[in-house]
Amino acid sequence: MKYYISFAWRNIWRNKKRSILATSSIFFAVFLALIMRSLQFGQYDYMVNSTVSMYTGYLQLQAKGFWDNHSFDESFELTDTLYRKIKNHLEVTTLNPRIETAALISHATETRISPVIGIDPYSEDKMTGLKKRLSKGNYLTEESKGILIAEGLADRLNVDVGDSIVIFGQGYQGVIAAQVFQIEGIIKYPIPKMNNAFVYMTIKNAQELFNLSKRITSIPIMINNPSKLYELRNELSSKIDTNLVIMTWEEMSPEIVQAIAVDNASGFIMLLILYIVIGFGVFGTIVMMTLERTREFGLLIAFGMERDKIYLVTTIESIMISFFGALLGLIITFPILLYFYYHPIPVKGELADIYLSYGMEPIIPFSLDPSIFISQMLIVFIIGLLTSIYPISFIRKIKPVSALQGRGGMK
Amino acid sequence: MKKIIFLFFLFNSITYSQNPKEIVKKSVDILYGKKTFSVITMKIIKPTWSRTITMKAWSYEPDYSLVYITEPARDKGTVTLKRKNEVWNWLPNIQKTIKIPPSMMLASWMGSDFTNDDLVRQSSVVDDYEHKLISEEKFLDYDCYKIMLIPKSDAGIVWSKVILWISKKEYMQLKSEFYNEDGNLIRTMIGSKPKNFSGHLIPSYWEMIPNDKSGNKTSFEYNELDFNINITPEFFSIQNMSRVR
Repeated sequence: MKYYISFAWRNIWRNKKRSILATSSIFFAVFLALIMRSLQFGQYDYMVNSTVSMYTGYLQLQAKGFWDNHSFDESFELTDTLYRKIKNHLEVTTLNPRIETAALISHATETRISPVIGIDPYSEDKMTGLKKRLSKGNYLTEESKGILIAEGLADRLNVDVGDSIVIFGQGYQGVIAAQVFQIEGIIKYPIPKMNNAFVYMTIKNAQELFNLSKRITSIPIMINNPSKLYELRNELSSKIDTNLVIMTWEEMSPEIVQAIAVDNASGFIMLLILYIVIGFGVFGTIVMMTLERTREFGLLIAFGMERDKIYLVTTIESIMISFFGALLGLIITFPILLYFYYHPIPVKGELADIYLSYGMEPIIPFSLDPSIFISQMLIVFIIGLLTSIYPISFIRKIKPVSALQGRGGMK
Repeated sequence: MKKIIFLFFLFNSITYSQNPKEIVKKSVDILYGKKTFSVITMKIIKPTWSRTITMKAWSYEPDYSLVYITEPARDKGTVTLKRKNEVWNWLPNIQKTIKIPPSMMLASWMGSDFTNDDLVRQSSVVDDYEHKLISEEKFLDYDCYKIMLIPKSDAGIVWSKVILWISKKEYMQLKSEFYNEDGNLIRTMIGSKPKNFSGHLIPSYWEMIPNDKSGNKTSFEYNELDFNINITPEFFSIQNMSRVR
């Protein structure tokens, strides 16, 4: 085997220019593909992270049936043991217990229906950055008796910080929940749908209002490594009671999964076109290399060398060309990606304002997901194998006499 | 509350008639005692909990009704007022009046299997439906007419059909089934324990069973029902919600 590899190696260097050309076209393909995929994957992760941290969390602990019914019948008691079981997992960063329901919000003659969320002010801010969205007034503290209200909803009700509103809804087991609250702060959301609805109060006040005693409805969970989502879900699920369930963000926000799938498909088509073009470039080089060596192949066969062995050498040659190109691409691209991974490209101007208004940092992040590199290597390897089909079929049909006489080897 | 009752049972005429529409019409004419007062015990049964609410209800058909909660203590004094197609609530603990917005009309009323919309729906079982006698069969111990009601297209009724079982002799509506547009059974109402209230013999105990939520049921029982009270539409004012006892 050693000999075949060294034969192949020498054959490649027989025509340096051509080999370098083929290698560099592979290199550029890998370079472009890696940067493109890294950008795309980086964007997806960033998008997912910003959306899940805005509301649902990567994972969410609920009682069975809550996601479908959103009723207090599926609320549960958050015991210290349960809290610690989840919190102590190394991959879990934030646990954000909530009470989620909807109720009527009324002021003077105006009444609107809105989600009413009972929160732990500290963990809610840690997960969603709610405090940063405050446009007026004060953020909630553990002891607050008041509420935060979304700006659009406040406008519709014609209320401001310091005014009182009535919250009227249904509590646990059908009791009437009605109470007057003072507005402590106004929250501004960039997304109109969110800005027109949302009232926050402390969990303690919500439990009192809705007669829930120590019960809550859901716990969004933030994690270190989103790629371990399902692994972590299964691990945590095995630790909790059977009446509880852990949902993933993919189950809770299928629209994001779809948006990513569509974008990913378009990226994939771009890559396909790129690789088809590059593939034909490499193929051309291999065809030329094969044809100019007709005499040589004829001679080897005439000497009694088995055709299988010639197949092997030519295959090694084309894989080597592809592989060197890919390796070069990897070696040069990786440090660049590594740099941008730690120093994402900042976005400037109007686009930056859009990012900021959605509560996202105005950056274009890169991804270093190993699957990006593995898949490029795999594609290049496949191109190498496919292009080696030509020399094999050529050598299979070659007639030594014709080849040696310089008549093309086929007649 | 009276509106619900009106919707779900049809009082029947003394006149013996084979014409289903005739039966329904006469029953409704008699039901229009117009002004009624009742004391009702409602029981909400869910798979994991149940709750009993007692209330007083006044009504002035077809536009007005007022329900005053007397039990449980936590909710005592809460008032629901229906004026035409509006629903208002009076909340005694915060001394506030709230109008239920249209988006909440399909939400549950007091945690029961009834919605706010059930309180205000204006449809008339006589004029908004086509009636057809489909068979005569026994329900419990009563010989009944089984009448199918198909809503007229312009009536704006959510059901695709309603089937009623009305006893032949007493003209009591003992059972009704409500079907949605896909033809699936959504609700069943069953009336039992007939009692004589100021000359009207009607079932005093009703059960409403939603077909799509197993283990759920809402029942209500008339402890008192007076068909001849002296009341005016002014009684059903927003101001009066805080005064009524």
